[in-house]
Parts: sequence; C-alpha cells; structure tokens
Amino acid sequence: MTEPMNNKLIMGSQTLETIDEMVTDVVLDSKRHTKTWFMIVLAAFGVLQLLPIGVGWLLYQGIGIWGNNQPAAWGFDIINFVWWIGIGHAGTLISAILLLLQQQWRNSINRFAEAMTIFAVMCAGLYPALHTGRPWNDFWLFPYPNIMGVWPQWRSPLIWDVFAVSTYFTVSAVFWYVGLIPDLATLRDRAKPMWVKKLFAFLCLGWRGSVKHWERYQQLYLILAGLSTPLVLSVHTIVSYDFAVSIVPGWNVTVFPPYFVAGAVFAGFAMVLLLAIPVRAMYGLKDLITAKHLDWMAKIMLATGMIVFYGYMLELFYAWYSGETGEMTLLNWRLFGPYRYAYYALIFCNGIAPQIMWWNKARRNIGALWIVSLIVSVGMWLERFVIIPMSLTRNYLPSADKMYYPKLFDFVVFGGSIGMFITLMFLFVRFLPAINIFEVKEQLDHMKKHDSEHELAGVH
Amino acid sequence: MMDQEKAVGKKIDLESVEETLASNPAKKYYRSVDELAKTPEYLASAEDEFPNRKDLLSMDRRSFIKFMGASLALASLSGCRGFFLDERKVVPYVRQPEDMLVGTALYFASSIVLNGYATGVLVESHEGRPTKIEGNPQHPGSLGAANPMIQAAILELYDPDRSQMVTKDGLGSTWEAFYASMGDTLRATKGEGVRILAPTVVSLMMLGGIEKLQKAYPGVKWVQYEPTARDSVHDGAVQAFGQPVTPIYNFKDADVIVSLDGDFLTSLPGWLVYSRDFASRRRDVPETVGSKGHTMNRLYAFESTVTPTGAMADHRWGVKPSRIQGVAAALLAIATGKAVPDTPGVPRRALDSIVKDLKAHAGRSIVVTGDHQPAEVHAMVHALNAALGNLGKTVKMIEPVQLRPENQLTGLKNLVAEMNSGAVKALIILDGNPVFDTPADLQFEQALGKVPVRARFGLYADETSEKCQWHLPSSHTLEGWNIAKAYDGTLSIAQPLCAPLDDTRSAPEMFAALSGAAARDHEIFVQTMETLLGTGAGFEKKMNRCIHDGFIDGTAHPAKTVACKAIEPTVGKPISGTEVLFLPDPYILDGRFANLGWLMELPRPLTKVVWDNPALISPTMSKGLKFGDDDEMVNLEIGGKTIKMAQFLTPGQPEDVITLYYGFGRTVSGTIAMSDEEGSDIMRKGGFNVYRMRTSGAMHFAPAAITRVAQVYKVATTQSHNTIDDEREVLKEWTLAGLMKFKPEEPKELANLYPEDIWQYNGPQWGMTVDMNVCTGCSACVLACQAENNIPTVGKTEVARGRELHWLRIDRYYSGTLDNPTVTWQPVMCVHCEKAPCEPVCPVGATVHSHEGLNQMVYNRCVGTRYCSNNCPYKVRRFNYFNYSDNQDQFTTQKPPEARQPKPNGVQLLKMLNNPEVTVRGRGVMEKCTYCVQRINEARIEAKKQGQDPKDGDIITACQQACPTQAIVFGNIADKDSKVSKLRSSIRGYKLLEEVNTRPRTTHLGKVRNPNTEITA
Repeated sequence: MTEPMNNKLIMGSQTLETIDEMVTDVVLDSKRHTKTWFMIVLAAFGVLQLLPIGVGWLLYQGIGIWGNNQPAAWGFDIINFVWWIGIGHAGTLISAILLLLQQQWRNSINRFAEAMTIFAVMCAGLYPALHTGRPWNDFWLFPYPNIMGVWPQWRSPLIWDVFAVSTYFTVSAVFWYVGLIPDLATLRDRAKPMWVKKLFAFLCLGWRGSVKHWERYQQLYLILAGLSTPLVLSVHTIVSYDFAVSIVPGWNVTVFPPYFVAGAVFAGFAMVLLLAIPVRAMYGLKDLITAKHLDWMAKIMLATGMIVFYGYMLELFYAWYSGETGEMTLLNWRLFGPYRYAYYALIFCNGIAPQIMWWNKARRNIGALWIVSLIVSVGMWLERFVIIPMSLTRNYLPSADKMYYPKLFDFVVFGGSIGMFITLMFLFVRFLPAINIFEVKEQLDHMKKHDSEHELAGVH
Repeated sequence: MMDQEKAVGKKIDLESVEETLASNPAKKYYRSVDELAKTPEYLASAEDEFPNRKDLLSMDRRSFIKFMGASLALASLSGCRGFFLDERKVVPYVRQPEDMLVGTALYFASSIVLNGYATGVLVESHEGRPTKIEGNPQHPGSLGAANPMIQAAILELYDPDRSQMVTKDGLGSTWEAFYASMGDTLRATKGEGVRILAPTVVSLMMLGGIEKLQKAYPGVKWVQYEPTARDSVHDGAVQAFGQPVTPIYNFKDADVIVSLDGDFLTSLPGWLVYSRDFASRRRDVPETVGSKGHTMNRLYAFESTVTPTGAMADHRWGVKPSRIQGVAAALLAIATGKAVPDTPGVPRRALDSIVKDLKAHAGRSIVVTGDHQPAEVHAMVHALNAALGNLGKTVKMIEPVQLRPENQLTGLKNLVAEMNSGAVKALIILDGNPVFDTPADLQFEQALGKVPVRARFGLYADETSEKCQWHLPSSHTLEGWNIAKAYDGTLSIAQPLCAPLDDTRSAPEMFAALSGAAARDHEIFVQTMETLLGTGAGFEKKMNRCIHDGFIDGTAHPAKTVACKAIEPTVGKPISGTEVLFLPDPYILDGRFANLGWLMELPRPLTKVVWDNPALISPTMSKGLKFGDDDEMVNLEIGGKTIKMAQFLTPGQPEDVITLYYGFGRTVSGTIAMSDEEGSDIMRKGGFNVYRMRTSGAMHFAPAAITRVAQVYKVATTQSHNTIDDEREVLKEWTLAGLMKFKPEEPKELANLYPEDIWQYNGPQWGMTVDMNVCTGCSACVLACQAENNIPTVGKTEVARGRELHWLRIDRYYSGTLDNPTVTWQPVMCVHCEKAPCEPVCPVGATVHSHEGLNQMVYNRCVGTRYCSNNCPYKVRRFNYFNYSDNQDQFTTQKPPEARQPKPNGVQLLKMLNNPEVTVRGRGVMEKCTYCVQRINEARIEAKKQGQDPKDGDIITACQQACPTQAIVFGNIADKDSKVSKLRSSIRGYKLLEEVNTRPRTTHLGKVRNPNTEITA
C-alpha cells in the first residue's frame, strides 16, 4: 500500500471546479455512497445502542454496576474521559495552531479533524457527567445563583475541568461552524433539489461571498483561532491537574501538564489517521488528503510520541530520584505488580511501535501507518489505565490495597461511546463537506501562482 | 483575641455600656456585652435572624409574584395529603410516659445471655424503639464494654426473618392450640417420657419454669446441650478438685500469663473483663522519656490456631491441638520437678525459661487453657496454678454459674439413646438447633423422627423446626424479662425494651402456661425476684433498684477454697499427621447468629474473612497442596467422612493443623444465613457445614486428610496478603526495655509550602488516640460503629470487590516468618486531618472543616465524584456504590428489586433499627467516620445548658465505648489536662503518615512488647 510521494499537497490536475465537485459530490451525490458506508453506519449505530442500555442501567442501579471500588474509586469512567478528551485535541490543534503558524498542509484535514474533536469531546463529556454517584445533582458543579448561597468549591480541579471542557467544546463547535459557512454556501449553490438548496441556504446564514463577508469571516476566524490556541493547551493541562494536584503517588507529578498535552496531540493525530485513511480511500479523496499529509501527521505523531515516552521515563526517574517511599512502591507496582502487563503493553504501544515512523518507507506505507495509529490509540488508553486505577490500587497504607477489575457494564458504556463516535463521524462525512473546499481552492491557487512564478523564472 | 478585635475595628465602649445599665434598672438580663453596647455587629445580627437570606424587600415585583405563585402552588399541594401524598399525623401523647422526652434517647439496663452466661448491657431507646446496645459500665461482666455478638442482638430483634407465628406442620397455628395439644400429651403421660432439650441454663426464670412443669408433671426431665458446652472445664475441675468449680481470673494482678490454647481475650466467658484487666497491665509502659518502674505483663501463648490472644502474646508457639496437653504436661513436670515429656515444636529451653518466669512471679501469674482442650489439660492447668500459688489470688474457683453443672455431651447421648428406644414421647427443644449442630455420629435427626410429639421453641424457623411438628416463636431477649448469672455468678436482670413485636412468648411464659398456671413474663419475674430479695417491706423499691442497675449487687459467687489433688503430667494421645480443630466461628458462634448480616460481614480478627468459614491452613500445607489457583477448594476426610470446602492460607497457623469454624452452612434459615454450599457460583456465600464432620468421640480435634480440589471458591476478605515492601513507618513498635531507653527525635522542621494555620479554630478541638498496644483486634468497635452510624452491610460479592462500608477497620500487619508471624493491630478510621487532602478536591464543598477541627461530610451536598476518596492517604472513605441502605434483606442490592425476596414488614422492621441521630445515606454518597458528631452535639447541647464547654469524658464515641481494653480515647486536645491531650504527648504517640503533612487529629500509640530475653537471646 505504499503510495508515491512528492511534495505536493494537492495531487492530480485539479482545477477549482474539480475540487468543488470532488468534495461536494460526496454530500450531494448519493451514488457516491456505497453499501460500505451504509453498513458501517448501521454497525456503528448498533454499537451505539449499548449506550442507552448502559446508561439506563447505570442511572437505575448506581455506580456499583461498574467495577470501581475503594481504593480505586475511579476506573473506566475517568480513563475513558481522559482518553476521549485526548482524542479531541488534534482538531483544534490543526485548525488553530497550524493556522496561526501558516502551515498550509492543514487545509485538507482540518475540517475532518475538527469534527472529530467535537464528537470526541461529546463522548468525553458523558463520563464525568455519568460517573458521579448522583448524576441528577451534577448541576451543582456549575456556579448558578441559588437562595442558599452555595457555590462550587473553586479549589477543586474538577471544577476547573467543568469550565475547561465546556469552554473547549463551545469554542470548538463555534470554530467548526464558522469554518463551514463558505462551504455550506458552495453546497447551496451546487445542490439541485430545492429543499436541499433551502436547507444549505439556511445553514450558511446567507453567505454571498462578498468581499465584506470574506473580510469579516477572516477576522472572526483568526480571533477564534487565537481563542482556541490557548485552549488546546489548557484543556489537557487542567485535565492533568485532576491528578497532579492530588497527593496520590503516581498522580502527584509536575510533568503531567506538558506530558498530558503532548499525549493528547499524539492520541488525536492517531485518531485522525485512523479515520482519515479509510475515508479518503472510500471517497476517492486521495488527491486532496495526499500521502504528504499523512507523512506530516506521522511526523507529528512521532514527535509527540517521543515527548510522551520521555514523560514515562521521567516518571520512573523521578520516582527513583525522589527517594519517596510511596513513589518507589508505586514504581515497583507498575513494573512488577499484577498489572505489569498493562504497563509493558503501554511502553510497547506508545514508546516502541511509533519508532518505525523514523523510516520514510513506513510513513508512506498506508497500512503500517494505520496499524501504528491503532496501536497508539490503544496505548493511550492503557496510559490512562496505568495512571488511574494502577496508582489507586497501591496506597500509602498497605492495608488499603485492593485490586481493581472492570465489570461488564464498564465495557458496555465504553463500547457505546465508541459507537456514538463512529456513527457521528460517518454521518458527518455523508452530510457535510469533510474537506474544507475554499481553503483547498485557495491552496490550489497559491500552488498555481507558485508554479507559474517558477516557470517565469525559468527554473522548474 | 484583643488583636483580632482591633483588626476588625471592633471596639466596645464600656462606659456607654455601664451607662445603659445604670439608666435602665428594669432590664435585668442581657445576653452579651455586645447587646448593651449595641455594636454594629450585634445590631446587624439582631436585625437579621437569618443572615445571607434573600431579603424580600430587595426583590423586584416580578420575582415577588413568581415566588408567591410558587408558594401558593406548593401550599395547595399539602391539600393532597391522603390522595397521592402520605397522610401523616402528629399526635401528642395523651399521657406522656415518665421520663420520656421526644427526641431524647433513654437508656435501660438489661442483660443478654450468650454461651451460658449473661452480660449486662444498656439499651438505647428512642420513643420506645430500642436502637443500640452498649455495655453497662456498672455490670461486673461488662464494665461498659460490649462484644460484637451482644451488640448485634439489636439487629436480631428487628430481623425480618425471625419467626413470627406458631406453626404446626408448616401451617399457621396458635399458642392456644399448642397448649391444648401439648397439655393433652402431658396429662396423658403425666410427664413420663416428656423431655426438654435446652441450651446451658443460667436463667433462674427458665429453671423456675422447667421446675414448675416438673412439679405439675413429675415425669418431665430436661437435658442441656450447646455445641460450645464447657464440658472439659467441668470434668477438669472434677478431676482436680473433686467438684465442678469454675475458674475465674484476675488479670489485673498477673505479671506473667501462659495461655495453653486459652483465648481469654476474645472467647472465654468474661473476656470483656479479662481484656480490660489484661490491658490495664499491658498499658503500664513509659509514656515520658526516662520513665522507670513499669510492670507491663508478659504473655506466653501456645496455640493451635490463630487467635487474638496469640496475636497479643510476647512469645507464641503454634502447637497442634492434641499436643497442647504435652506442653501442659511438660510445664507441670518442670514446675513440680518430675520427668519432663518431649514437646515437639517447642524447645525445652523455652519451657524452662517460662517456668522460671512463672515461679519468679508465683501468686502473680496465671496459666489458662481453652474450653476445647480436654479435661486432662484443665486438670493439669489447675495443678500448675496451684503449684504456683495462684489459686485464691489470680485464679479464683467459684461455684459454676450453670444452674445444673454437668457434662452436657453425656446428657445428650443419653437423651438420644432414649429417643431411639422410643422412651421419649414428647420432646420440647428450647433454642439451640440440635438437628444442625449435634455431633454427627449421634444421628439426632433420625432419633428425633422416633419421637411422636416434637415441638421446637426458638427465634428462627431452622433445620430443627423443619423436623418438628410444632414451631413456637420465641420472644427476643429484648422483649422479655430474665434473671441470669453473669460469668462470675452475678445475678443479671434483663428487662424488656418493647413488647413482643409479634405473637411470641418467652420460655418461662410457655412453661407457666403448660404447667397450668398461665402467667405473663413480668409476673414470673416478680415472683422470682421475691424469692431472691424476700417479700418483706421495701421489696418493690429494692426490685426497682435492681432493674435500674441491671443486676443484683453482691450476688457474685464467692471464691471457694478448694484443694487441688495431685495431678500427674500426662501427654495424652497426640495425633500424628494432619489434624482438624473444630471451633465456633468468632462471631456467629455455633451458627445462632448466622442470619445477622452485621456479624457475617464483620471481618474475622486474623483472617479478615467475611461471610464464610474456609478451612484455615498453614503456609506450609498450602505449599504442599500445590494449588493451581489460590482460591481452589480442598477435600477433607475426617473419620471416613468427606467435605469439600474452601480453604484460606493463614500465616501463623500451625503446620499440620486445619481449623474449621462451625456454625456456617445453614440450609434452613433466613435469607442471610442460607448457604449456597452446593452451588457452583464461585462467589456463593454462607460457608460450609462442618458439624457433619464433628463426632461425639472427637468434639474438638480429629485426625484428617486433606487433598486439593481443582474447583475455585472465592473467599471474600477485607485485607489482602500484600507484604509491606517499603520503609514507611506505618507502625511503631518497641520492646519494653527499648522503650525505657527511647528518646524521640526532635521533630524535624520539614519544608512546608502551606501556611501554618489554615483554619481559625476556636472552642474545643476534638482529637483521638488509638492505643495499638492494648488493641486485641476483637472488632467490638467496628460493630459499635456500624450500629451507631446506620452502616449497612453490603454482601459478600461487594466486599470482595472492595466496597465494604465499615467506617472503622482494624488493619492487621504481620512481621517475621509466615509460619509464626508477629501480629500488630492498627485500628484506622478517619483521622480528621487538619490539612485534609479530601477537602480541597471536592468540587461542591461536600466535605468541609468545622471550627472544632472535625472533617465533616455533608451527605446532602455530595454529588459522588469520589475524588475525596482517591486523595485520602488513609483510604478511610466509603462510598455507596448501590443503594445499600434501602435494603430490606441487607445485602442483595445487586439484584433488581423484583428478584429480592419480600418479607412481611421487612422494610419497616429494619427501618426501626436506625439511629435517628444519624442520616441514613442513600446511593451515590460518600461517607466516613464523623468522630460520632451526633454524640459531640448532644454533649455540647447539654454542656451549653450549663453554660460551659463539654467536660473531658462527656463525649464517648461509639467505638471508644465498646472497646473492652479502652484503647480508644476521645476528647478535647485544646484542653491540656484532658486525657487525650496527655496521651497525645506520650513518647509512643505518632501520627499516621505524618510525612504527608495532613496533620491528623488522631494519634496512634505505638506497640510495646515484653519479650523474655532468655528466650529471644
């Protein structure tokens, strides 16, 4: 599956017209959708049904249907929360930070990654909301005025979390929608049936593509990019505070914020690759999401993966260097305890497997790339497993130690959220332009200008 | 204080205050100087009764209308009572009962009979509803402490599984029908062939009832049997003294104690008192630097299984049960200068040193043995005590407290023979459960089948009831009157706390009715009291005094001067190879408490096992059996019979000994007791019936063969076998000599990023000390906490998952070898950190600090994120993963409601158990030790009425109250003279995990051991 690579971000002999066609046809031409799409959505929707079952039973019975216990009061619930939040990091990073850094290659993948972000954050949001013992009282975590004068407790990282995640979700959603407006207008223009036209007309908020519109658009887009940029860093930093602020050995680590952020980008890119590779194949978008894009993403994965791996090593080093009994006990527990296989698997998935990305060949081999992305996704889940229940099962007082084992409903709810994610992703691909049309067109224009300049100068 | 006032700019103008006083002579009372000075603060607070409330006047019109509308709507809802809301009525007492103040608990003295002796208790009662059982501080058998079984009697009272009506052949009947039917039998036979099988009789009223029946029908005879009968104590005394006297001990005066399988700390009658006395001498250790002249006692233990006594010992040897006699013989031989027999496993040198130590403390030592050791051991122990001059000093011989001392097994055998011969025409079985718990070889069940009329009188419809035509529900001990003897013979009085909840009768009532002179319980009680106190003038007053006290003062049996015969040291017949030891379960005893979830779920002291009775096996044996999985079962062959049961690796268990606790494996009983022994689920509960392996020839130990069975049965335990592989100082330990020389290090100034005082404290500051040196691990405190704080049981599967709810746990730590480790107990409950890690992480502020230093849990506010528990370094927080409290059968919440077995009135009955002072927590809420804040508040209110702070000792937490050794002390640490303050400053004191900088309010006091240097050297 090795694909030839040149330095072009758009392949083939594209014109503005072909790009429009290529992307909008996915939405407007139902013939473009094979049975495969239908099967995937149906299967994912089936898996999604686990969610109402799992959540319904959870609300009826209580957290006890999960495997959580004392001392491991957090298990799958928070593992999955952090995992999904991590996945939801690539989108905004690609859209905002790379936009500000004027990285052109982001243009074909940003829409896709942003959608992924939103859906991942939606999945993530399920967990903190449902993991509380009395979810019907979750609104107490929000500062709403009440006659008792009771407010949230601001020192708790969980409150910071509420704000970080909800802000991130709001800003990402707005950013995504604003970015969609010009493309929705394109869809409106190209749609044939009246009702589709009307629908997109409504959604594109009356976009006419006037210079004024473009000017406003760009101002807003840049502002939103500016707003999102710190959020990319802050969300996972704050999520890491959930652990770093505590006094639990294995959690109380100052390296957590950067290492969590890097981990999130790592996981996010892995997920983008995991989904983009099949989608570009299914819809013939290889000319827009080129091997060059995949190559870039693989390189970012390699870089962030190295940071994460460095984090793991640093954790070990600090445990030893601090000489702290609790830290050393935990170190032993991780390396030689009953959960050691999870730890070694983590090291393999996140530390060793991504190393093949050093080789051009591996980066160009789509299959390998996809498998590594899958391994990394699993690895990032294991990382949270290693951090959360593994640290909790080993305690300051040895008498309090107790093993943690998940129960059936841990998997049911997790599976349900995966189903939800895939369902939403494929619905998105079907009903909205998965690639940013106008930015790619701009890119094409830019490339053409570039080429003609070269021709004029006589150097090719 | 002055500085603070200045800081807020508060200044009381004293001159104007005086002026005010002078100008207004009519106004005599004032509440504070502030009031007179009319400081702005005072005015503000006087004006605003509820600070922070939303002021109606500051509300705009729309909001006002909104609120008014909502209020009207809500007000009109109250009109719906009786339609879709409960109709509730509050009706005042027409005649207020004496002393009763609604909302205030009353305490009544009573007593509870268990294992053949009574213990005095105080029962807490709320508006006529008993809710908790505590020790009676004046009662000589309690001294204020209460053991877990006694405390659990309150749960038994409300147990929805208790039988509620008379049944005949399984169908509902009436007492009148039974009286008529049994009356016919009695009249027809004149009592010939009518037998009564009773447990050990120590109740004068019970004996009186039986005697009355015998008077009416002279042929009636009675037999007593209990699986835990003290036959060997009886026989041993007869061998040594020629008469059945009972030894009682004075551990207060004992410098050296040798236990030959005698678990005097948690099982011998009177153990609450023995523990107290033992601890009083255990406690005699230096508390300040350089303190001298301490006479801490020394305990040597030879034991055949693991018991709290062995865990407390300074020297312990694991010996096979059949070889204990050899050790006794050797000790006696050395002491009396006779030929010393061989004692495998115990070095001769150690025995010599022990005897030397004993002799050095002649008259101030005790040798004690256990009820399951044969009579010969008891006789030799008597001889040893006699030789050491302990008789009459530390060991007193008294008249037995059983009203008819005898060898119960012999009586039972005769009865069974009679039954088999057809001589028994009718059998009335009082309590007990002979079909289940009599020796298997007697085949009681078959013999019972040959008795034409069988009646069973008991609390539960059980295995025995099933084989009888009549089942007669017995009143609970808290529902009736009783007079019974305590361990030292003191006549103890039980008074009812409520009328019988159902159509039940007490045994004396039944006998009175059968003998033709029907009388209610109280009449019989008064009659019995008349015989005891004399009917003269002032009887009423004297009787009321006794009822109030809970016992009749001065009725303890006096010490008897008896001479010990010469006893030859004999080693008996030691069993070679593997042997089993039969013991009653530490909590459900002979099985009578198997339906009490509290006791089923109370971690057994050393194994921490709950809900089961696995065979305890030694590490060596476990290695030999080569288990594929740690939870595999074993097959035991004893005397030709086999049993397949779970096993549990127990450090300290002697090598070839398998301990079997009987009482489990019930097949006919309430929901909780029922055993799934035959099931195949690996988490099945209820244990194994080992009675069917126990024979009259080998009541206590027998040779056995053990094999591995490749089938898994998970045993739930609250503490794993993890070793401590770090150097953290969780425990502190010294030898007595070491402690005398010990100088604590100067507290290091640790770098600290936190401000020193994060809380502004005022008023009393609560703190606690837990003395690990005297804690015996008996778990009375755990149960007391459970009863006081409405803590539900969660069931075996939930415990196995690590979700038990006990607020207080007793951590058990081993040190030394697996074969004979040293045990250290460490009770741990919330230590109320001054810098509590749980507080800052709660997102809704559900756990907060009080100005008196309590770390409080606001259940109402808790959302259940469980972050507090994660951040607690002590892991003392407990979470309601399910709705455990709304749980009529106490432990099957995992099942959906429709799958649970409904009980008549089950929910209502168990609701009555709850302490109204403590919130019942629902699902999804975190909970933990509160330092019994309800008791603090109660004491504070009382003290406030007197215009002062609570005095030292006014507040006693539930755990502190139940503790037989007074290991827990609670009080105000701001008061330097309080007991708790003094103990906190002891050199033994340390704060658990101090290095985490949590500043616990609970201080643990380190353990001290007093080894004999001749043996350790």
